[in-house]
Amino acid sequence: MNGKKRSWTGVIAVSVAVALSLTACAPGAGSAPAESSGPVSKDVAGAGDVTLTVWDQNTDEGITDAQEKLNAAFSAKYPNVKIDRVTQSFADLKTTLKLALSGDNPPDVVQANQGYPDMGAFVQGGLIRSLNDYDGLYDWSSYYPESLLKINSFSADGKTWQGDNLYGISQTGEVVGIYYNKKILTQLGVEAPTSLDELEKDMAAAKAAGILPMAYGDIEKSPGIHLFGVVQAAIAGSDAVNKLVTGADGAWTDDASVTAAKTIQDWSSKGYITEGANGVSRDDALAQFEAGQSAFYIVGTWKQAAISEAMGDDAGFTTLIPKGADSPVTTGGEGLAWAVTTGSKHPDVAAAYIDFINNADAAKTFIDENSLPSVIPADYTPKPGLESDVFDTYGKVTSSGGLVPYLDYSTPTFYDTLTSAVQQLTDKQVTPEAFTEILQKDYSGFVGSK
Amino acid sequence: MTVTTRLRSGETRPAGAAPSRARRRRVASLKAFLYVAPALAFSLIFLIVPTLQTAWYSLYDWNGLSVATWAGVQNYIDIVQDEQLRDSFMHVGVLVVFYSFLPIAIALLLTMVISRAHALRGMSFFRTVLFLPQVIASVVIATTWLSIYSPNGLLNTLLRAIGLDSLTRVWLGDFNTALVSVGFVGTWLNVGLCLVLFLSGVGNVQPELFEAARLDGASGLQEFFGITLPALRGQITVALTLTVVSSLKTFDLVYITTRGGPGNSTSVPAFEAYNRAFNSGQVGSAASVAVVLTIGILLITALIGRLQPKDTE
Amino acid sequence: MKLSLGEKLVTYLVLVIFAAFALVPLLGVVITAVSPSSSTSGFRMPQSIDLGNFVEAWDRGHFAQYIVSSIIVTVTVIVVTTVLSVMAGFAFARLKFFGSNIVFFVLLAGLLLPAEAFIIPLYFNLRSAHVTDSYWALILPQIAQSLAFGIFWMRNQFMSFPGEVIEAARLDGATDLRTLWQIIVPPSIPSIMTMCLLVAMWTWNEFLIPLVMVTQDNLRTAPLGLAFFQGQHATDYSLLAAAGIIIAAPIVVLYFFLQKRFISGMLDGISSR
Repeated sequence: MNGKKRSWTGVIAVSVAVALSLTACAPGAGSAPAESSGPVSKDVAGAGDVTLTVWDQNTDEGITDAQEKLNAAFSAKYPNVKIDRVTQSFADLKTTLKLALSGDNPPDVVQANQGYPDMGAFVQGGLIRSLNDYDGLYDWSSYYPESLLKINSFSADGKTWQGDNLYGISQTGEVVGIYYNKKILTQLGVEAPTSLDELEKDMAAAKAAGILPMAYGDIEKSPGIHLFGVVQAAIAGSDAVNKLVTGADGAWTDDASVTAAKTIQDWSSKGYITEGANGVSRDDALAQFEAGQSAFYIVGTWKQAAISEAMGDDAGFTTLIPKGADSPVTTGGEGLAWAVTTGSKHPDVAAAYIDFINNADAAKTFIDENSLPSVIPADYTPKPGLESDVFDTYGKVTSSGGLVPYLDYSTPTFYDTLTSAVQQLTDKQVTPEAFTEILQKDYSGFVGSK
Repeated sequence: MTVTTRLRSGETRPAGAAPSRARRRRVASLKAFLYVAPALAFSLIFLIVPTLQTAWYSLYDWNGLSVATWAGVQNYIDIVQDEQLRDSFMHVGVLVVFYSFLPIAIALLLTMVISRAHALRGMSFFRTVLFLPQVIASVVIATTWLSIYSPNGLLNTLLRAIGLDSLTRVWLGDFNTALVSVGFVGTWLNVGLCLVLFLSGVGNVQPELFEAARLDGASGLQEFFGITLPALRGQITVALTLTVVSSLKTFDLVYITTRGGPGNSTSVPAFEAYNRAFNSGQVGSAASVAVVLTIGILLITALIGRLQPKDTE
Repeated sequence: MKLSLGEKLVTYLVLVIFAAFALVPLLGVVITAVSPSSSTSGFRMPQSIDLGNFVEAWDRGHFAQYIVSSIIVTVTVIVVTTVLSVMAGFAFARLKFFGSNIVFFVLLAGLLLPAEAFIIPLYFNLRSAHVTDSYWALILPQIAQSLAFGIFWMRNQFMSFPGEVIEAARLDGATDLRTLWQIIVPPSIPSIMTMCLLVAMWTWNEFLIPLVMVTQDNLRTAPLGLAFFQGQHATDYSLLAAAGIIIAAPIVVLYFFLQKRFISGMLDGISSR
């Protein structure tokens, strides 16, 4: 480098630095779109030709069929509205939704995952709109139990979950529980487990008989949340976990969570769960269970249709009652919330669409497709078998306060922290205590800064 | 580096009024500048300025949606203190060994053995095949190896077929093998490239040199270290640069095959930067990782460049 | 130069082994692609050739749309890059101008900078300018990246162009522009074509930039389409293999026809990707 070039480089560097420092405001200033407000109406037919862009992650069997039916029905009722449906896997939606919402042509209607990582961030960025005014029009407050609405609510600044503003409503109810193979259990001479101890006894029996006790595949990372959630709920109880996730009280290093972690690592050592689960896809694990190669499989009720179709009457569903409690406690809530974006040019039509795919008729459509709606019609008697297992459980846990939220709601980075930590736990890369410390580090950082 | 310019010789001046030479040169200079102006604009707007902005972002905490808060050098401190970030840089170091050192070593070894391969018939066929992995889209390569490494994929099937059942495992899901498995894909990608590179370099060596060495009774090893290796200095530099830089930038492969998992065992800086910027709303931290990665790449490229013999650019 | 028989054998053996090493995974893909699609079967030799996977991948994966996007982006990038590289390369090689060293240095930086260095702010900048989620968000940054290589390449090419021809043209009164496009470019077409091929390959195969810049499904380029397709059909390896072949095919076909150009181009250039 000759001297002449060096001085020129210096000049350029300095001038750029000066230019940048002149724009000394922090990144992101003034980038949030303004929230449009105005009178709301139910009028869809009068809105003229509208194309609603809808982003969802309803890829599960049964649920996606119900969605298609509802979309078709809506378009039939309002011929002036065309639905442009974009479906992705849950993980892909998580990745792309943030970018899409903050773009110039955001979708009109999106399924937003509840909790701080997604919905909280969207509200903070002013990307989805409060639906309180539409609630007044459609009276969702009377249709949904308060607990379900609260999960979909945030404070207006997006900093406090379960605040006063409603941001979406959900179609499906969700309970994470243990599906079991009735034939295998009968063969082993055991009953469906209703407590953690019973589950472990049953799994030991299966193992002794040479049958894989629990199929588990965690390469996609999200099943780890369910595995830990179910075990932790059965030990800690609903009050403790609720307080923990909402940031009200408690620590992840408390005894109950450590015991839960120990239990899971124990299962891994004893060979109760699929070996090398971190490299196995949850689809493969589910296929194993459906083919009758394992006794148990932990997943949510969104798989009801798929399992029902594959196993028919051979499948059952159960949840665990903690010691000293009289009703089951488990992870669950509702499906992702259907929200309206602030960038949508047709909020009225979007709200009407959301109402349509979430109302009592929609609930019937979901039942027809072997899926659990968020509000079970009062007059409906579930078919005996898997459906009654699922529906009855849902009724039980929602009415007795036995639902704890998905653990990844806890902090904006908790999805990544928890999923990767569970992978390390099941592979014995960390001790149970160290596992809980990883969680607590993320959690205390967030709770401390609120 | 210098740009050689050719003076216009034999320039004739038009008869009559003669504008000053200096002015003509200025006009000519301006006209020439116009040739590069669009390219310069592209480079500044889309590459240079955003790179400087990355450095700026790295001084803040920002979730990408609301207003940012000042963080100073905290993000950089985190790179050293935070285990996850630190590990991602370690991992990429491991990848460098697999993407770069291993293929180069293997290719050099082979070149020693088959140093006169270029004279063979059918060499162009081999060259084509060996080079083929380089032109395939990284996403396709990633999905291919995802399938090969799957529990019942090609690798495990082959192992079972030759009776090595005990070696089968879930390659990408096992904490102990995931990173190495990703690295091996890089080895596969680059061995052919290095071999082609070195064979063509050796082909440029005058055969008389080899004849003379043989007449003098030089062993294969002496021949290799005395003639081949020095002749390949240029090619080795190119190979090092290409492979080391590509390994440091690894993103596509990790994104498709493991997303940094299991746990964080295959996390690499490029993936961390992307994930933090666009998924978990930690743009400042992402920017700091990007800055460190870029500086690392530039430093290493400069270092390798020093190996270059002076007569090649 | 004569090789002994022993030497020939050893050489062929080594070459065959490593050629096989390179090919086996790719052959595995082809075999998997023509095996019947299923989620649970492992790798096995198919009994019959089943091309259904290609059709299904094409339909279910919307690959027609993705390939159109890829073509639009790639062709535009090639055209603009070529024009600007030829012009700038010529200026650096043959013209004298103020600050040429600095400008060259700046342009060279584009060669060394990884995408990660600039993509984060670039995304937010383009978002503010309402350019994200459009083909421009894919085309413009990739032009910038390709220019670094292109200018370097064309400059080298033009520097080694025989000076006498240029002098002769100038003496005849040709302007610089004329000299460039009518005298220098035509014989340089092979070299320009090599540059185009490499730019085409890098642009077609690019993954990170489309991943960040584009979220609408109909703007996705082929590699991005494959990634999302994989997300939805994670274990259906036959389908994924077929999709992968569809995506990689255009460049691979080009490669087979023009291998010498690809190889010499990549080896002669400095590391850029």
